[in-house]
Amino acid sequence: MALSRDEIMEKVREALVDALGVDEDEVTPDARIGGDLGAESIDFLDIVFRLEKAFNIKIPRGDLFPDNILTSDEYVQDGKLTPKGIEELKARLPYADLAEFEKNPTVQDIADLFTVDMIVGYIEAKLGGEGG
Amino acid sequence: MRWIWIDKFVEFESGRRAVAVKNVTLAEEHLHDHVPGYPVHPPTLMIEGLAQTAGVLVGEVFDFHEKVVLAKVTRATFHRHVVPGDQIRLEANVMGEVRPEGASIEGRITCNGHLVAEIELMFAHLDQSRAPVESSDENFVFNEDFIRMLRMRHLSDLSKDAAPGDA
Amino acid sequence: MRFFLVDRILELEPPERIVGVKNLSLAEEYLADHFPAYPVLPGVLMIEALVQTAAWLVRVSTDFEKGLILLREARNVRYGSFVRPGGQLEMEVSAVEIAEAESRFKAVGRCEGQVAVQAKLTLEHLNVADEDPDRADIDAALRPFWQKQFQLIGGPQALEGPNGNPG
Repeated sequence: MALSRDEIMEKVREALVDALGVDEDEVTPDARIGGDLGAESIDFLDIVFRLEKAFNIKIPRGDLFPDNILTSDEYVQDGKLTPKGIEELKARLPYADLAEFEKNPTVQDIADLFTVDMIVGYIEAKLGGEGG
Repeated sequence: MRWIWIDKFVEFESGRRAVAVKNVTLAEEHLHDHVPGYPVHPPTLMIEGLAQTAGVLVGEVFDFHEKVVLAKVTRATFHRHVVPGDQIRLEANVMGEVRPEGASIEGRITCNGHLVAEIELMFAHLDQSRAPVESSDENFVFNEDFIRMLRMRHLSDLSKDAAPGDA
Repeated sequence: MRFFLVDRILELEPPERIVGVKNLSLAEEYLADHFPAYPVLPGVLMIEALVQTAAWLVRVSTDFEKGLILLREARNVRYGSFVRPGGQLEMEVSAVEIAEAESRFKAVGRCEGQVAVQAKLTLEHLNVADEDPDRADIDAALRPFWQKQFQLIGGPQALEGPNGNPG
């Protein structure tokens, strides 16, 4: 199923508008799902279900929004990610730009990494090849 | 008044879809406040009816051991008024699948084939969400009373594969 | 139960803003079902409290013109803390727009300083006569009914506000 990045963005936008009740023009590529679009914990799951439906894919738990990293002592200490945690995050979000985050990898700031563009990148990778 | 906003289940496919009906009757006290002289079944109680239909659908996946609670109403749009003498049909469909973390539901309410409402909602498990609860092992969400009134142990009789005479 | 979910209006700045409260008491019978041994204000009644608070703002801003004010759409309703008996839900509603037949609001309900519920609401306003021309008498009866209710819940005092300026 070969969708262009723009077509993917359109469907992602629709899923976010439906799940979060925001206006279409608020869904820009660098809008943060949490900080800018107001998503809360329950909303992340809603977004996953809608993306699965829109793109006919399966998004296993922890794939798109790696919440399981946040609950493990191995990856998080004193509110910051351990080197192992950063490694794990990079593996889970290969399409995210972690350079800034790495300088001060606080758990608080992880939520800021979740941008619309990140979702588009994930979907693109997922649709583009197995093992995205 | 009982806090039950559906009367019985008419269709049930475990983990996928459930349909219930509710009769609206002048015998319901709150209708005389909403509004005096022109009783109209409150839209918010239709949301609750859909939530209860879907709550049973989601709860049954875990054999009613989890405290399934309404976490979010994504959207509820009302198109038509419902009045005493009407019977509404509440259909809940699981979006994707029911997961341990929660479920998203797409719902429709109709009356005599006319669209009354479109409702999307989400469930989570009480122990995972919201404010801390004084722990109680019994499941007060699905209690024996509720289970018996809605014949929730007989839902499989309503599935399409049920042989005739199973009920 | 009596279907009135606003016990008092605390602040009122038509057509922009209104703050009301709802007390929750064990005397409310439906709590026995929601839930047994763990009574909490049902999520949909939180929505109803927000809807009714918004409806008061419409009535005051439109001189009680329309008898029937109903929820047309709720979006993005999310829940936070619970409201328990002995507690109070404080509903703060801001109007996005109030037009003749429809209005839109952003609404938040708080209990003990925590957000219990948030929602975006659209209400419809109509006269019974619009649905049924023979029933204009109901509209005529509803106007004084709502005006009396408005007095009952401290509306005029809220209009005056802390500075004693009559609305």
